[in-house]
Amino acid sequence: MNDDYLWDKTGQPDPQIQQLEEILGTLRYQPKPLAIPDDLRVPQRRNYLPLLAIAASVLLAIVAGGIWLRGRSRSEAPKIQAKVESPTPKPDVTPVLPEKKSAVNPPPVVAHNRRRNRSASSAVENKEALMAKEQLMLALRVTTQKLHLVHTKTSPANQIKNQHRVG
Amino acid sequence: MYATADMLLTSPQAHAAEQSQEAAIEVVLVRAVLAGDREGFARLYDLYAPLVHGILLARVPRAEVADLVQDIFLHAFKKLHTLRDESAFGPWIAMIARNRAVDFHRRSKETVEINDEIRGSDAHDSKAREILELIRGLPEAYRETLVLRLVEGMTGPEIAARTGLTAASVRVNLHRGMKLLREQLGSMEGL
Repeated sequence: MNDDYLWDKTGQPDPQIQQLEEILGTLRYQPKPLAIPDDLRVPQRRNYLPLLAIAASVLLAIVAGGIWLRGRSRSEAPKIQAKVESPTPKPDVTPVLPEKKSAVNPPPVVAHNRRRNRSASSAVENKEALMAKEQLMLALRVTTQKLHLVHTKTSPANQIKNQHRVG
Repeated sequence: MYATADMLLTSPQAHAAEQSQEAAIEVVLVRAVLAGDREGFARLYDLYAPLVHGILLARVPRAEVADLVQDIFLHAFKKLHTLRDESAFGPWIAMIARNRAVDFHRRSKETVEINDEIRGSDAHDSKAREILELIRGLPEAYRETLVLRLVEGMTGPEIAARTGLTAASVRVNLHRGMKLLREQLGSMEGL
C-alpha cells in the first residue's frame, strides 16, 4: 500500500485508491451559490471592555467602603468601652480593726454588676453595702473577743492563778 | 545537492507554509465579513463548502446534504461575531456541521430511512452509494477523513488544515480507515 499517495497524492498512485476516487468523485460537492437574504446582517462583536471597567470600579468601591467602615468601627470601639467600664465607686469604709485584718476579704458587692446602669440606685446600694459591712465587721469583732476569752480561760497559767485565788 | 521544486512542495515546511497562508486568508476574510463585506463570506463559502459537504456526507443522507450545507453557512454568517479566534473558521464550521448532523438524526430518523430507499432505486451511482455506505459503517474518525480524501479530493495536509486536526492524526485516520475499507471492499466485485 502506497501511503504517500493516500496522504498527499504524491508518489506512485495506488490503483485501488484511484478507482475509489473515480467512483466516489461522482458524489463530490457541486458548487452552488450561497443565497444570503438581503436583510441578514452580521451582528457586530460586543465590546465587553467598558462593562468590565464598570464592574471593576464597582467592586473597587465596595472593597474600599468595606475597609473604611471597618476602620471606623475600630476607632469608635474604645469610646464604647469607656462608657461601659465606668469606674466603680469604692466604698469609703474604714476598717474597725486595722491591726488585725481577717483572712477573709469582704466580697466586693458592688463591683459584680459593672455593666448595670446604676446612676439612680448607686447611692442606695452604697448605703446598704456599708451597713452590711458594718454588721459583718461587728460580728467578727464579737467572735474574736469571745475566742480570746475562751483562750484565756483555758490556758494553764490562768488555771493556776485562778486556783490560787480560789484557794 | 539542491532540492527540486517537487520536494519543496511536498516537504513538511511547504505544508506548514501553505497552512499558515490559508489561515492568514481566513483571518482577512473573517475580518472583512465582520466589517460588513458580504463578498468575503461568499469567498469563505467557496473555500469551506467542500469540507462541510464531506462532513455531512459521512453522516447524513446525500439528498439532505445540499440544503444542510446552505443552512450551516447561513447559521455561520449570523453567528460569525461569536468566533473568537479568526484563524479557526475551518474547525469552527466543521464543528457546526457535525452538531447539525447529530441534530438531523435526532429530529428526523424516519425521513432519513425513506430518503435512503428512494435514492437506492437510482442505478446511476449505485456503486458509489454502496461504497459510501461501507465508509459510513466505519468508526467516525475514519469515515470523515476518508470521505474528505476520497469523495472531496482533499489531500491529508488540506484536511488537517481545514478541520484543525493535527497532520499526524489525519495520517493515522487515513491509514487505518483505508485498511478497514479495503477489508470491507474485499467481497465487492471490481474492486
